[in-house]
Amino acid sequence: MNTRPRGTTASSAFARLLETLRPDLVRFAFWLARDRAVAEDVVQETLIRAWKSREEIKDPAATRPWLLTIVRREHARLYERKRLPTVDIDDVEAQGDPALASDGDAGLEDLRRAILKLPDEYREPLVMQVLGGLTTNEIAEQLGLTQPAVLTRLFRARNRLREIHGLTPAEDVE
Amino acid sequence: MSGVMDCKHARLEIGGEPHALSAEVAQHIATCAACAKFRDETLAMESRLKSALELPLHHFRESPRKLAPRRFALAASVALAVLVGGGAWLFRPQPALAEEIVEHIRHEAGSWQAHDPVPPEVLAAVLAKAGVRYDPHLPVTYASPCPFRGHIVPHLVVQTDNGPVTVMVLAHEHVDTYAQGTFSEGEYHGILLQAGSGSIAVLAPKGQELDGALKELVHDYP
Repeated sequence: MNTRPRGTTASSAFARLLETLRPDLVRFAFWLARDRAVAEDVVQETLIRAWKSREEIKDPAATRPWLLTIVRREHARLYERKRLPTVDIDDVEAQGDPALASDGDAGLEDLRRAILKLPDEYREPLVMQVLGGLTTNEIAEQLGLTQPAVLTRLFRARNRLREIHGLTPAEDVE
Repeated sequence: MSGVMDCKHARLEIGGEPHALSAEVAQHIATCAACAKFRDETLAMESRLKSALELPLHHFRESPRKLAPRRFALAASVALAVLVGGGAWLFRPQPALAEEIVEHIRHEAGSWQAHDPVPPEVLAAVLAKAGVRYDPHLPVTYASPCPFRGHIVPHLVVQTDNGPVTVMVLAHEHVDTYAQGTFSEGEYHGILLQAGSGSIAVLAPKGQELDGALKELVHDYP
């Protein structure tokens, strides 16, 4: 006799969604933490929490931003709980972190290093926008900032990266 | 400057949200060659930026993590098979440990009611927190990292053809071969098995036959 239960359709769909989104969650966590081991821990916590709270998600389209929010919170919680030392970006560079490798595209690797060097306040909204697909309003809500403040941070982030891309930076804004 | 918006503010918007420019910025760009060039450069950089952020995860996993996970493949662990297949547990496990395990199970009684198979990613996450891996061939419908005796241990409910059983992977609880064995506590009965340098506990409610489930769960179970 087979007494094994089958999952509900909604849960199966959610499980597939987690599988699809996991790579981007790992990348997102890495850009926040700048450390692969921490990123993996954060994503593990995120997946466990997301699975336990899956009933909260009614609209599948909302899953991605919801998961990114959990990643951000778990990242913050991890540092609070474990009092992890902050990552020295020069150490990451010196070790030649394979996470930044680009299969022979040196320009891309340089760009990755430049992104890592951005201050948290610029790197985080940039990653949320470009990788996470969040709007400036959504970012503002998550970071507790005004939309113009987010716009300014995003402008400054890209402005710093222009130089590494061989472009002249624009005049800064107040 | 052209129109009602100046170049400085046009570039702020272009640099802040290059894919969602307002009508005012679009209007400005139509009459300002320098800002149009700035927009084109920003958009060209944007695709590189996206590529840069999309880290190749095969490189990401190149270096091993600081702590190598131990293998506790419940279904096919050589160590476990040898120990279990090799024979008999002659003594009861430490009563205190069995009691604490059952007490923990009681506090998560809802775990028995879970029916949705836990996705592999979630299961792997739960097990990784304890530094163990498991290649499941039976559905796991509950997986939670639980605090137990000062460690985070995976608490699973595995669905066997003989009914659901709770499995707790106690990587930090060493039991020697003389201490492993069956136990009966309150409304549960179970078994504690040595596995590697730790142990695993398998439990079911009393009245539910455990032997058949163990044969499914533990390779070479006698």
